[in-house]
This record gives sequence, C-alpha cells and structure tokens, in this order.
Amino acid sequence: MTTTTLPSPAQRLSPFRLINSELLKLRSTTTWWWFAGGTLLWTAISLAFNIWFASMAFDDPAAFGDPEGTGVADPLYHGGNVYTSGQFLGLMFVMLLGIVIVTSEYFHQTVTVTYLTTPHRTKVILNKLITAVLLGALFGVITTGISIAFGSLFFSGQEAGTMLGEWSVQRAILLNLVAFVVWAILGVAIGTLITSQLAATITAAVLYLVGTQVASLLFLLLANWLNNDTILEWQVIVPSIASQVMTLGGDGLPGTPAWWVGALILLGYAAVAGVTGVLITRRRDIS
Amino acid sequence: MSDGQIVISGLTKQYRTVRAVDDLSFTVEPGRVTGFLGPNGAGKTTTLRMLLNLVTPTSGTATISGRRYADLPHPIRHVGAVLEASSAHRGRTGRNHLRVIAAAAGLPRRRVDEVLELVGLTPAANRKFKGYSLGMKQRLGIATAMLGDPKVLILDEPANGLDPEGIRWMRNFLKTLAAEGRTVLVSSHLLSEMQQLADDVVIIAAGKLVRQGPIDAVVESMTDASQVRVQTPHADKLATALADHGAVVRTEAGGALVVTGVDAPTVGAAALQAGVELHHLSTERPDLEQVFLELTAGKATIR
Repeated sequence: MTTTTLPSPAQRLSPFRLINSELLKLRSTTTWWWFAGGTLLWTAISLAFNIWFASMAFDDPAAFGDPEGTGVADPLYHGGNVYTSGQFLGLMFVMLLGIVIVTSEYFHQTVTVTYLTTPHRTKVILNKLITAVLLGALFGVITTGISIAFGSLFFSGQEAGTMLGEWSVQRAILLNLVAFVVWAILGVAIGTLITSQLAATITAAVLYLVGTQVASLLFLLLANWLNNDTILEWQVIVPSIASQVMTLGGDGLPGTPAWWVGALILLGYAAVAGVTGVLITRRRDIS
Repeated sequence: MSDGQIVISGLTKQYRTVRAVDDLSFTVEPGRVTGFLGPNGAGKTTTLRMLLNLVTPTSGTATISGRRYADLPHPIRHVGAVLEASSAHRGRTGRNHLRVIAAAAGLPRRRVDEVLELVGLTPAANRKFKGYSLGMKQRLGIATAMLGDPKVLILDEPANGLDPEGIRWMRNFLKTLAAEGRTVLVSSHLLSEMQQLADDVVIIAAGKLVRQGPIDAVVESMTDASQVRVQTPHADKLATALADHGAVVRTEAGGALVVTGVDAPTVGAAALQAGVELHHLSTERPDLEQVFLELTAGKATIR
C-alpha cells in the first residue's frame, strides 16, 4: 500500500491542531449556518426596529414622556441601543452553538474517535472553549459591524451625529462583544454538563427566553411581599439578567447594580459550569 | 515488553450491579490475528474500551507496547481502532470526517486520500455519511483506524452487517496487516468467521477468561469431546463390544452410533474382533462453534 511519510510519533505537533480540527468540524456541517442565519435575521429585524424607535423618539420626545431628551429620547441611549442590535437572540444563538460543539459529538457518537485521537479530555474541552470564544467573537463582530454600518448612516443624518466617539457608546459596543464571547463559553459549559443534544439545547433556549421573565416576576413579587426594593437588585444572579445589566453599562441606577457586577456574575457562571463540565467529562465512561 | 504487544492484567469493571469484566488477564501478540470471542454481553466491548482509555477500569491495567493508551505519545500513530460503525456526523462527507481526525492528529491531508483508496471508498468520499451503506460505514471506520498507519489494530465486531463480499474483503485485509507484523485484535461473536481469520483466540464469558491460545490448540484441548461416528447393520452387537472397552455409545435417529471415550482405531479393532461389518467410521472433531458453546454454556448472556 502507498504510504505517505507520516510525521514520526516523536515529532512536536502544532499547538493549533485541535482548534483547526474543531473549526473543520463546524465548517464541514451545515448546523452553524442555521445559527448564523438566525443571528443575521434577528440583527436585521432588531436594527430596523431600534432605528425606527430612535427616530420616533427624536422626532417627538414629548410623546415618550421625555420632553427634555434626557431619558428615552437621550441620543446616547439610542446610540448604545442601535449599535448593539441583535444582541438578544444573537447571544442565544452563540450559546446554542457552544452547546452543539460539545453535544453533537455525543449525538453522532464521534466523541469516541475524538478521544481516541486526543486521550486528554481536558485538552479537548479547552480547545472547544477556545473555538467557541473565536466563534462568539466572530458573531459579535459581524452583528456589531452591520449595526454600526447602518446605525451610523442613520445617526449621521441626526442632530446628535454618529456618537462613535462617546465613551458610553463605545463601552456598550465593547461589552456587547464581551457578552457574545461569554455566552459562547456558557454554551460549551452547558454542553459538557448536559450531553444530550436535545435536552441541552431546549433547556438552555427555554431558560434563556422564558426564564428571564419568570425570574423577573418572582423577584418583583418577592420585593412587594417583603416591601423591600433592594431585593430587585438581586435579579442580577439570573444569567440573562446579569448579561443585560452588564451590557446596559449602567453605573447602578436604583434597582440595577453596576455593569461590572453583571460581568463578574456571568463570568462566574461560565467558570463554575466550565470547570464542573471538565471534571465530569474527565471521569465519564464513553460507551 | 515487545512492541505492539497488548497486555491485559487483572482488568475489572464493576458497574452498579453488574461486574462486566472480572479479573481478566490475557496477552495479544504482534504479527497475528487474535480473535476476541464471547457471547453478547460477555464484556468484550467494555474490555476494549478500557484498553482504549474510554472507560475507566475499577481495577487492573491494560497496556499497549507497555504503556497505557493515554500515555502513548501520539496514540493514533500507534493504535487504530474501529469501535462502532455509526460513528461519524450524518451530515459530514467521508472525506471531511477523515480530514477532521487528520487535523486533530497533525497528519498531512494527503494521507486522507490514501486511506480512502486503501479501503476502496474513494468514489464515495464526497458523499455524506447518512447516505452510506453499512458496509461503507465499516470501511470508513477502517480508513479512520488506518490514518496513522498504526502498529496495532483493534476492531470491535467489524463483520457486523457486512455482506459475504465485505466479509471476505475484511478477512483478507486483516490477514495482510498481521502478515506485515502488526497486532490485530478482533472481537466477534461470529465464531465461524474467526475460524477462518484468527491465529489465536481469547474466549471470555461473563467477564471472565475461559480459554486463550492458538486457535488449533484451543480446539485440540477439547478433543476429549471428540466423538466417533460409526454405522453398521449390527448396531447392538457393536455397542456391546464397545461397552467392554469403556466407551459410551448413543444411538442416533438414523441408526448411526455416536461413540465417545475411545478413538476411531479402537472402534475399528473392536468391530473386527466382534466380526461386525462397518459401513462408515469417522472421527468428528468439534469445530470452534461447538467448543465455544461448551465453554460458555451455562454462563447467562443476560446479566
């Protein structure tokens, strides 16, 4: 049989080979196109809505109960809002993609050959995390790019201008990118905890879409019952609310903690879930 | 410790209520095809998965060339394994499936086309896995195992679902690999297939080793069970004569006598002495199927 001269077993291998392999896994299937398509579609819809909302508010601040233009009609608020369009479902899609990076290996039983090729499972999961980070960043950069392209076009025709030089707008854009990366990491962590593809994706999507509202409602009821409004600040322990707190970039208005509290909580969830997932994965029998 | 030798030593896997593998020890030598036999549920797959670091043993060790699988510096350059036929993403082409593994193992991309050629899958390389027949899936599994040109091949039930042509191809392929000096360990419950393929056999039942050795010796070791079939118009007379020699005689439906406890020459001599005319005299060697059934009999397959 013809055999290419293969690298000797002693040869040092490229440290990027597992990331290459993970990216190839994604590129060679269609799954990621669905998530990318969903993210783009949602970005387009929310961008159109946010621009429409901004133009309505600028045209007639009084109609929004904000004749001074300091609240709902504040241009900076709309700058941050328009430039981070697509965030809500975009974050869910990168989380789902992170989940699928792990669970599809179990769903299609490719996990066996993956671990045969690389018997060090921590290394496999870490490379999946890095891949998810790259993808989260890519999704974030693309949605942000689209939002900035169309948003700045809209704002340049307004009195306020593009506002891209304003720190609060820049911070909203940067934190939006951070959110995409962190939710991708959360996705991988969830996938290692729940290896069933259907269970993991459905649980995560339902918690993300419905859980936020349910949690808000519970906290509101609790705050009313105890007659204590500081309880509302505790909502931030819910991951999706932590994410909102973080990306709103506020300094802590009544009822909302500072943005970095949300960021720390979100990273905490990602770290705990990721470490737990790796520990479980190391011990799990593949049969 | 010779290169390519597999050593299983005191290997045990205790699941919650079932001891799937129970203090199992055996060795597999390079340059030979070793059949790993046992009824379904005997613990073959669990043993192979422990050998490949996919399942953690409760106790005991399993090494390849003196090292645990996870400690091999570049595992798929040393060991190739085919564990289940349906282990590729349904939406991925065969070529891309191999490219993913080659990338993770740091192997050159042209190696992918070589192994496709090797297993005869080149025409279907760009077709998606979900469109593959069972035989094509098995071939892709073997292509995967051959990517790293390994010294050791481990296959779990590779003949499952193959048509006769596929089985013949697989048999020749594995024999060639063993002839090249590689270690080939093949699990199966298809005994007839092993009889045509294996040089050595390891037989397990209920997680325990039953017999290990060259296939001829294992069959030979059962010659106590060999029997002589004899046909004569004077069955009663011969049976009486044979009973004097300490043989056990059973009459079959067609009138033939099945004799155990003495060999064919003794039967012939006894017939001559008794003046009985013989129409048929033959020794029946038990085939592996019989040996296997006797060895594993009574060990329930569902535990």
